[in-house]
Amino acid sequence: MNGGKVTLGRTAGLYAGAAVLRLALFTLFPGLPDLLTGRVEISTPVTSFKRLQEGLFLYNHNVSPYDGGVYHQAPLLLPIFNLLPSFSTFPIFTYLLYIAVDILSADALLRIAESGEAGSSARFTSPRRDKRWSGAVIAALFLFNPFTIATCIGRSTTVFTTCAILHAIANAISGCHFHAMIALAFASYLSMYPLLLLPPLILLCYDRQKQPAGPRAPDAWIKFTGTMVMDVFGALAVLFQMSFMLTGSWEFLSSTYGVQLTLSDLTPNIGLWWYFFVEMFDSFRSFFLAVFWLHLSSYVGGLSVRLRQQPLVVITLLLGIFAIFKPYPSIADASLFLGMVPLYRHVFPLLRYSFVIAAIIIYATFLGPAFYHLWIYAGSGNANFFYAITLVWGLGLSLLVCDLAFAVLRDEWEVERPEMVGKEIRQI
Amino acid sequence: MPRLLASALSLRRDPRLLKLPPYLSLLCIVVGVVWLFLLPLDDYSRRTYISENALLPGQVHTYFGGSDQNVFRAYKHETDELADKGNIEVNDKLESIAKGLGLKVGRQNFTYSSAGNTHSGQNMYAILQAPRGDATEAIVLVAAWKNVKGELNRSGIPLVLTLARYFKRWSLWSKDIIFLFTPDSIAGPQAWVDAYHDAHDSSRVASLPLKSGALQGAIALDFARETRFKSVHIVYDGVNGQLPNLDLINSVNHVAGGQMGMGVAIQEMWKHSTSYHDRLQTMLRGMLKQGLGLASGPHSSFIPYHVDAVTLQPFGDGWQDEMAIGRVIEGTFRSLNNLLEHLHQSFFFYLLMQRDRFVSIGTYLPSAMLVAANFTIMAIALWVKSGQPEVQEVITEKTKTAEEAEKIAVPNPHVAVERDLNLPLVVVAVCHVLSVVPLYLFNHLSESALIPAFVLFSVLSAILPFLLSNLLHTSTTSTTTQQYNLIQSFSLLLLGMFLSSLATLNFSLAFLVGVFSAPLTFVRPCPNSPVLKVLSMIVLYVLSPTTVVLVASVLPGLDEKVGYGLGEVLKQAAFAWDVTGTYTPVVVWCVWWPAWIAGVVSVLGRPEAAGEKKVKKA
Repeated sequence: MNGGKVTLGRTAGLYAGAAVLRLALFTLFPGLPDLLTGRVEISTPVTSFKRLQEGLFLYNHNVSPYDGGVYHQAPLLLPIFNLLPSFSTFPIFTYLLYIAVDILSADALLRIAESGEAGSSARFTSPRRDKRWSGAVIAALFLFNPFTIATCIGRSTTVFTTCAILHAIANAISGCHFHAMIALAFASYLSMYPLLLLPPLILLCYDRQKQPAGPRAPDAWIKFTGTMVMDVFGALAVLFQMSFMLTGSWEFLSSTYGVQLTLSDLTPNIGLWWYFFVEMFDSFRSFFLAVFWLHLSSYVGGLSVRLRQQPLVVITLLLGIFAIFKPYPSIADASLFLGMVPLYRHVFPLLRYSFVIAAIIIYATFLGPAFYHLWIYAGSGNANFFYAITLVWGLGLSLLVCDLAFAVLRDEWEVERPEMVGKEIRQI
Repeated sequence: MPRLLASALSLRRDPRLLKLPPYLSLLCIVVGVVWLFLLPLDDYSRRTYISENALLPGQVHTYFGGSDQNVFRAYKHETDELADKGNIEVNDKLESIAKGLGLKVGRQNFTYSSAGNTHSGQNMYAILQAPRGDATEAIVLVAAWKNVKGELNRSGIPLVLTLARYFKRWSLWSKDIIFLFTPDSIAGPQAWVDAYHDAHDSSRVASLPLKSGALQGAIALDFARETRFKSVHIVYDGVNGQLPNLDLINSVNHVAGGQMGMGVAIQEMWKHSTSYHDRLQTMLRGMLKQGLGLASGPHSSFIPYHVDAVTLQPFGDGWQDEMAIGRVIEGTFRSLNNLLEHLHQSFFFYLLMQRDRFVSIGTYLPSAMLVAANFTIMAIALWVKSGQPEVQEVITEKTKTAEEAEKIAVPNPHVAVERDLNLPLVVVAVCHVLSVVPLYLFNHLSESALIPAFVLFSVLSAILPFLLSNLLHTSTTSTTTQQYNLIQSFSLLLLGMFLSSLATLNFSLAFLVGVFSAPLTFVRPCPNSPVLKVLSMIVLYVLSPTTVVLVASVLPGLDEKVGYGLGEVLKQAAFAWDVTGTYTPVVVWCVWWPAWIAGVVSVLGRPEAAGEKKVKKA
């Protein structure tokens, strides 16, 4: 933005710093990666690096990677990791891959921040937009967030999804619709739930498309949406076909997406599903699965309509909601959401519970491992201890989602009703 | 309802509300401490009871005795012969005896280094395979060659050998029995348990050549005296304040106190009159030991692996002989042998008042949580306070935009002013990062350097707040009241959070640290009242981590007439960190010390424009 060279040098320094920090953690504490990989807060059944190793082993021995029911991740991850030199002899290449992915994510976030889309979208310009952080600061907040670092060191495969989502948003903002849709297709292919981001992402693309000024044809949006949807599903079809050719059967569909849809692996995680379904009687299981998924997807429509003017806000809020309510959330999802939140620096003064939210999230971060220890290792606690903390964690994140939504809406409202600026409002 | 809500909202804006938190914090601390002192009363503590029905303690006849007395004497002669021999020779002899009894024998070498000293030795263990079991479960009987005080376990070793010979003759065991002989009471058992669970560092501790099933319980025998005794002392504190299941203590209690008719003591309370005073003393001793988190006997290392364990120590002059303690062990082992599943029914978190009275976690946890909550309350209050518009800020803040200046010119009580978070965050982060220095120093220096390092560190830590405060004052943008409030707010928030997390793991440590750092809640920058400032400084420096460690090390211990001395305490702490993995140093240096530094910095603070504020108010 201001003085391209200075910014370039600074961002390069930032990325180098983040890379060196991660590399130092990898090499100076050789026990740390495996320790973090084993933590339920970082590795879920659908993102665990340990399970990826198992899948890779089976794949290399010409057995279907989904035999044994341990591996639940996308098949195309296998050839990627197979291309790297063996992890057991040269772990450094895997480390470098993860570090590179993190930096690519940060770069996409930087592009999103520099575009200024958060403060002024095509249909809405916030009066507070001048007060914002530069892209470098936002990228730094993402890269040096302890959750992001822990995810990278724990080598969770969520980082690929995170990277794909951020690139989809960045491309949508810069007007490269096709690339945005391809990136979203990749994210959906890896983790399925990003497909729910399609409606707001189409809105974002539509708002940001490069067009000569002048009235658009009234039904231009239908054609546009059609193209976008075609792009995504075309890309997904190609990816599925490649997966089919790779594994030789359609088994991967039920082993990856099926597991997410039916929650057949009840390993504890920081989400709200596992405990509920552990307790569930089998006859109600399918009903509540449907309810939980319906709940998760119901936010998409409502938010897209209510916040039509600011599609990026919809995406941010949805990422927050996914981090709370998706079947296998981990701190990686929270780190993506927390990475997007600083884009809204301009509405921070309108947040009402920022201190409470920060306190709750930090409390949960420390109490969670303590209670998990009491439950699993010390044997003096039980599952309720850990579940209580996951509820607190969910509370903290949902407060942040609500508060951010409130702040953004208030910001919009003050443009509509200038006479109410600074006045107290009350929800009825 | 709407009116109620409206009045609640108007109350929120009441300036008197912000005066409340210090009193609320004080109330929390007072209630927390008073609560603790109520616990020994009959209304708050409960009698112990056996939860696990399968244990059936004291329900079987014990047959140990008679001719076993002669066997014991024979083994005692053998042990006496070995008294001055080296570890390997001792193990050679023990191995030949165990092999003679028909047991499988294994040995394990270990070498720990801590504070420049090397602690090495060799463990010897023998496995009695259960005639009625499938080697999936085992119970352990431990006899350390030397007890924690360094005395030779003169009667314990032969008694365990006699019991091994005796147990071998019975056909009723459904769990394997492992007889473990370690050269010392802390490092040896730690090495063995680590290796048993494959959690050892193979560069220091050798793997076990022979294993049995999952450990269900362990009894250690510390029997150094050679004369008849009166009662048995149960030592139950594990590493990091973890405790064995209360059912195990109750079982030993039942067998020793009920069936055998011998007295039972805990926490070195050799005489216990069941009075309030004695109960309180027992409880406080227990809390102190739990808080320090050190290993108190060969059993301590087992507890972190979820293996319930106690050490039995005969004491006092009476008429009970070795066979009696043998029968106590036999009875307890018969009970453990009955177990269908791991001990889980009874309590893992408790404070014992006397041998058969306890308080459970639900009753005592609120006191530590209240103490921890006081910090959080104050942190929230300071945050709210920092967000309130202050009139003089319009003059001092140079960087405010026109828009904001406008906002402040028309003060709006419920729109918080923008807070400057960067400086406070940096100060608190720097304090916490610096705390790695003492943690590293005291755990890696050699023994001779410990005391000089401690003295040097104490001096530096006393000067550091002055340096930081000067830095804050003379930096280009000088520090405002708001920033001082925020420094304290963040520091107290972290302290409260660490302590409440810790309270679930080690109640006593959280409580002790909480009480010692209680003054941090109440200190404020006081540039206009030198008396108050000096007073706060004195209180803070008296209760600083370094002072407390120093004073605690020279105070007489529970039994001793004189304290251990600083060097010994630091050496023990380093040993506990290196060998048993005690995390107390982390809490002292990385939780308490940074909070203390931040507290002193805010007392020394000279917030800008504070003087003008006074004038204006007057």
